[in-house]
Amino acid sequence: MQEKLFVYEDSSASPASDGRFLNEMSLAVQPNMSVSGWPTEAGSKALTGFTAIYDATVVERLKAAGAAIKGSVYMSEFGFGLAGDSAGAALSQDQVDCVLMTDTMGEARVAACLSGAFGFKPSYGMVSRFGLIGLVPSMECYGILAKNLADISKVMSVVAGNDPRDLSMPNFGDDVEPPDFNPMAKTTESIGTIGVVTDCLDSLPEDESRAFEGMISKLENNGLQIQKVRLKDFDLAPTVHNVIGAVEASSSAGKYDGVRYGHRAPEAKNWNEMYLNSRGESFGLLVKTYLFQGAYFQYENYDAIVDAARVRTRLIAETEAALEQCDMLMLPAWRGSPDPSGAATIDSVYDVFAMTVIANITGHPAVTLPGMVKCKNTDLGLQLTGPRFKDSQLLSMAARLTKLARKGI
Amino acid sequence: MAYEAVIGIEIHVQLNAITKMFCDCPNRPGDDPNTNICPICLWLPGAVPQFSLEILEKATLACLSLNCEIQPRSAFDQKVYYYPDLPKGFQLSQHHMPLARGGWIEIMDEKGDPKKLRLHHVHMEEDVAKLVHETEGRTPISLVDFNRAGTPLIEIVTEPDMRSSHDAMEFLKVLRTQLRYTGCAECSLEQGTMRCDANISIRPEGSSRLNTKVEVKNMNSIQHVGNAIDYEIKRQTESLMKNDPIVLHTRLWDPEKHITTAMRAKFEGPCIPDPAVSHILIADAWLQEMATKLPEMPNQKVKRFIQQYNLMYDEAVQMSLEREVSEYFEAVVGLGASPRTAANWIVAQLLPAIKEHGYAFSGSPVTPRRLAGVITMLEKNEINSGSAKSVLARLFETDQAPEEIVEQFGFRQVSDVKALTLLVDQVISENASAVENYKNGNQKSIGFMVGQAMKLSKGKANPKFLQEILREKLG
Repeated sequence: MQEKLFVYEDSSASPASDGRFLNEMSLAVQPNMSVSGWPTEAGSKALTGFTAIYDATVVERLKAAGAAIKGSVYMSEFGFGLAGDSAGAALSQDQVDCVLMTDTMGEARVAACLSGAFGFKPSYGMVSRFGLIGLVPSMECYGILAKNLADISKVMSVVAGNDPRDLSMPNFGDDVEPPDFNPMAKTTESIGTIGVVTDCLDSLPEDESRAFEGMISKLENNGLQIQKVRLKDFDLAPTVHNVIGAVEASSSAGKYDGVRYGHRAPEAKNWNEMYLNSRGESFGLLVKTYLFQGAYFQYENYDAIVDAARVRTRLIAETEAALEQCDMLMLPAWRGSPDPSGAATIDSVYDVFAMTVIANITGHPAVTLPGMVKCKNTDLGLQLTGPRFKDSQLLSMAARLTKLARKGI
Repeated sequence: MAYEAVIGIEIHVQLNAITKMFCDCPNRPGDDPNTNICPICLWLPGAVPQFSLEILEKATLACLSLNCEIQPRSAFDQKVYYYPDLPKGFQLSQHHMPLARGGWIEIMDEKGDPKKLRLHHVHMEEDVAKLVHETEGRTPISLVDFNRAGTPLIEIVTEPDMRSSHDAMEFLKVLRTQLRYTGCAECSLEQGTMRCDANISIRPEGSSRLNTKVEVKNMNSIQHVGNAIDYEIKRQTESLMKNDPIVLHTRLWDPEKHITTAMRAKFEGPCIPDPAVSHILIADAWLQEMATKLPEMPNQKVKRFIQQYNLMYDEAVQMSLEREVSEYFEAVVGLGASPRTAANWIVAQLLPAIKEHGYAFSGSPVTPRRLAGVITMLEKNEINSGSAKSVLARLFETDQAPEEIVEQFGFRQVSDVKALTLLVDQVISENASAVENYKNGNQKSIGFMVGQAMKLSKGKANPKFLQEILREKLG
């Protein structure tokens, strides 16, 4: 191991072989996913010394299924952006089979492209968020990075489904079987119609959009049904995410006050000063800027929040309308040009995730496939989005598309 | 120029639910500090709020008892501010979409006429933690007790319909009675299970304008609310006379000095829709089920008591003030006591005795069956009213039935004419001057002679019979 990938390693974790579903599988998590007894600082000084006192629902289910959770990898502060993240490296260096990674605006999907892996963001409400420490409750979720879609499906079949501890989940019903995530079983079926989101192609640099269109014609030549669809407000997605995300982050981070846990500034004359000093020292520049933005909208520009919520509703309706015309939407995973780990301003972070934020806004599932679209040696990633709560169907179609591609298109 | 006061009230009421609002911790703020806490109400990172259906039911019942319209969709907002008693940095409350809108309650105004006071809305919110300030050596320290954090409250906001301290005090009394009837809340200003802020402004009489208001807090009894409002009306009127402008701010009532003092500028933090707690959608069928759970309200009960039991208005009101008293009254009547005697005995004898013995009404040893026993014997002339009071007193000391007490202590009234005539003869022979006075027309002497005869009977004689025999003999 050349560089340190793990914040915390559990040396006792080894894959079980007692016939349970996830035997032989090893995973890494991020230190914002609660594992009882593990240091859980979420990449932030705000949580210095914090140890989880219970297992997140996802962790509980993975353990019960016999998976080996080998440790937690380095992460950006509260999973915001990709700076300082080692999830992709843990995978490409063969440390684990799968990494659970917070997907707030597309981090898991873009990190997957950067490391030649598959990245998946489930439908909002498909996987319990109990025990996930994040910033943006209405948009963030567990993402999954893996070397193949079969592993993603296996993990999903264990972690997805009802959890009474997370009210944001729909009630899938008591008698509902665990979602069937077995994509390989249906690989002979038709892939269906693919809707290419033209609005996103318009925003790509010329060489990238040429590469993407080239891939599309190859698919068409192989007999796939391709159709152009519009998401009229696609360009507004980063702004909508920014306003809602910053507002939710400002509230979510309100609990980091140094009163009960985490970092408390050593000297203060009164508690107002304790708050100012502790919080001032706790957050990195990027998160701090984000919190300031959120506080600005909360205190000074409530109308912007209302506008963002309204456009969010429109984006959901547009995505749903587009998905009535086709079986899945296709768009690049990212633009390739921005530097994901070097993004130091809010705007440049949003630039990295311009293609992925929309799925976080609307709550639809999205998966990125590696090696499908290359431009100047950069993998732009192929991103597919399907109907909400049809996660297994999306993974299944993605598997068929991958198989087709490997046959040599 | 004559001025009138415009008063609106905001009342926080603790719901007596078993758990807190967003977690399963017991709703018992008074337990040892920080014993009723969990990751959710401490807001540890990774916590996700739950929502208690029991609390929604209790809040809904409370709103129905105040004639509010339950909203088909309501939602929680984050009221953002930073304070050590607020573990999240915001309080979950309902600002944009409250549980209920409208509503009204009826009071009697100063002239004794009915007056409807309207409510603006009722919303749910969580309570905050409790701060305890101490010193460690010479260093002042603040401790936080999170037992109260996340316990359930409803906030009732009125329209500015009140014009005097009388209105406000009557409003609070009626509100308290109606909420207590639902069984969802204790509503004690003294114990802090109900907290009340008054918004007061002044305007020329007859004007319909709403002037700048002042908010007054820290009133720990209904009387304090009245006193604070009277003080504030006087203070603001004097300011207006002197042309001093009234500024929007918050004042504290000082119960020792009987004045209000300026505390701070009124602070309103932002209210942002909360992304974690789901919207609350209320189905018609569920609402109808709640409506059937609403008990008969006191004003309906007063009317029924007058019709069904021929009570006087005041008696009916007294029997309806508390739900448990009203149920007790009906139980006693159901066991054969006549309604008016029962009502009078409950008000004049039972309630003071329970208070004197330090019992809560429901914990008193005088069950409806035991009181009905006493009253029935009284009404059948088996005991006289003096003995009945003695029996009642003994009911607090033994668990014997009243009939047993009467036998054991020989309270049975002597109504035997022969025995009573002997007593009367003795009194006449021993009180010549009283007899003389009576014959000279002094009616009071007969009372004296009855009293003497009662004494001779050790209180057991039937006084009515004694008087009749005396009058007959002295003719």
